[in-house]
Amino acid sequence: MLKIDRLTKDYGKFHALKGLSVEIPEGTLHGFVGPNGAGKTTTMRILATLMPPTSGTAYIEGVDITREGQKARKLVGYMPDFFGVYDNLKCWEYLDFYARCYRIGAEDRKRMTGQLLELVQLRDKENEYVEALSRGMKQRLCLARSLIHDPKLLILDEPASGMDPRARAEMKGILRTLREMGKSVLISSHILPELAEMCDSLTILDHGELVFSGAVEELSDRMNGNAPLEIRLAEGCGTEAVDGAVRCLRELPFVTEILQEEPYLLKVRFEGGAELCPDVLRKLVTENVPVCDFHRTPMNLEKVFMEVTQDA
Amino acid sequence: MLNPILSFSATRRMRSFRTMLIVIGYVAALLLIALSILSPFLKDTVALGSLSRGPMCFLALLAAQFVLIILIAPAMTSGAVAGERERQTLDLLLVTNTRSFRIVTGKAMESFALLALLILCGLPVTGLCLLTGGISAGQILLGELFLLAEAFACVSVGVFCSSLSRSTVFSGVMSYLTLLLIGVVTLLPFLFGYARKITDVVYDPKNYAALTETGARGLLPKLLCLNPGFGLVSLLQGQTHILNETMKYRGWGRIYCTWLMADRAGWNYIAVFCAVGMILVSLALLGAAALLIRKGSKKAKHG
Repeated sequence: MLKIDRLTKDYGKFHALKGLSVEIPEGTLHGFVGPNGAGKTTTMRILATLMPPTSGTAYIEGVDITREGQKARKLVGYMPDFFGVYDNLKCWEYLDFYARCYRIGAEDRKRMTGQLLELVQLRDKENEYVEALSRGMKQRLCLARSLIHDPKLLILDEPASGMDPRARAEMKGILRTLREMGKSVLISSHILPELAEMCDSLTILDHGELVFSGAVEELSDRMNGNAPLEIRLAEGCGTEAVDGAVRCLRELPFVTEILQEEPYLLKVRFEGGAELCPDVLRKLVTENVPVCDFHRTPMNLEKVFMEVTQDA
Repeated sequence: MLNPILSFSATRRMRSFRTMLIVIGYVAALLLIALSILSPFLKDTVALGSLSRGPMCFLALLAAQFVLIILIAPAMTSGAVAGERERQTLDLLLVTNTRSFRIVTGKAMESFALLALLILCGLPVTGLCLLTGGISAGQILLGELFLLAEAFACVSVGVFCSSLSRSTVFSGVMSYLTLLLIGVVTLLPFLFGYARKITDVVYDPKNYAALTETGARGLLPKLLCLNPGFGLVSLLQGQTHILNETMKYRGWGRIYCTWLMADRAGWNYIAVFCAVGMILVSLALLGAAALLIRKGSKKAKHG
């Protein structure tokens, strides 16, 4: 559906995107994550044909966005991170106006407007003025606007920003419906857990570079493989026992880092997978270290995000 | 299909209370001017000397509308593109299948339509001159057409400035300054250099007698003919010869010489040249504005 091919964008000497290449299959909800200035909005604006890339290109259903902008616009629905609305205009007129901009005929306009207002749960507000809507409702109306020409790919830049939890939940529900309708959705956010909850796959960007791209499960598996081992020693076993435990852990060649976060709690990082954990435990027991708890801390996605973007 | 930007913007404009106030204010101003000039006709008896007041009223109304359009058009168009940027709706338009030129022309035509409505609303007031005599319906019609050309030019300047700027206020100020600049720049040939060439011809009776219409048109600088004020004067003079008495034998140096040269070149020719010139320049400005709105969007933001 979408193939981003070595996309770069320079603003003078600042490199906003550095050869980004990503592929997104049809009918998926794909999350775009990264800290501020990572290049998410730049990528999305390039895909929406609002700015040309410095080099590279992207293909939407085989249409080169840099060469066939007009064709690409028919395939893309874009919702920026702000909701530009007009005053003195009713909800149905707002949608009707954009439908006319896409040169949709009168009958289809009427049908699409009704269907989309139904989809975003604003059917009862169709004759109300846009400025009278709440923030969440305006956001949903903007989502309906981006769908008015029935695009194959939907690009949503921070669609849930500034929304209360209820509005966020409603937005998530609508996005799931869109996936069921077979739309491909590219959605950006700073909040990785929120995206991971509803997306099939993720792309993590940092400083214009690709850090990770793949399925959500793949990301958490990869990161949980690097999760630190938590070893709690018996309370009151004394500093000698703690020092002894540290000494004996250092003897293991694959251990890379030992942190003492609390008096009797050690966090151990090591190179390798879960198969090495029994070796660590065996060593500690052999050396008579008073271990009372031994487990790997599962990483939540917030931590994953921090880890991943820190390393880049 | 009708330009969606035009119909949409016009709908929003006509819903605004301000639009109604503008129309009422415009017509009221014209009515005040007309009544103050034609007041002798409101009495039971009319003095013979008052008969010339019809053409005078026509002149005053056309001049007043000329100035009002210059004052209203920039205020009306300053938000055409800059307002879209302020509302953050320009990107939403640019991602649709509507081309930039269509967006710009839609915006320009919407403002032009309101100015045309104002001119149309002022028509009954101008029509009062018909009752006093000395002015024909055809002359009024030509005057209105000239005002329409002027309105189109002012709107294009406004939309062009709006496409350059990010704020409506800045765009408005820029439009007024640009219109002023156009007025000054087109007068430059008259103020500098050109006078000598023309006085040499006018003050030599042989040369002046031999001067043909085409020759005079060649001598008149094209830039000067593009001055809307000069265009209006040419139109009024061409239609009514109303300024003959004012200009006759005053010996005003370059003004008088220019007057004679324009008279030889043909007043109507200058008025038409000015109107056509304004329309062509306007189209060029709208084309440039269409290029600018996409460029502006490309620089908009990154993150």
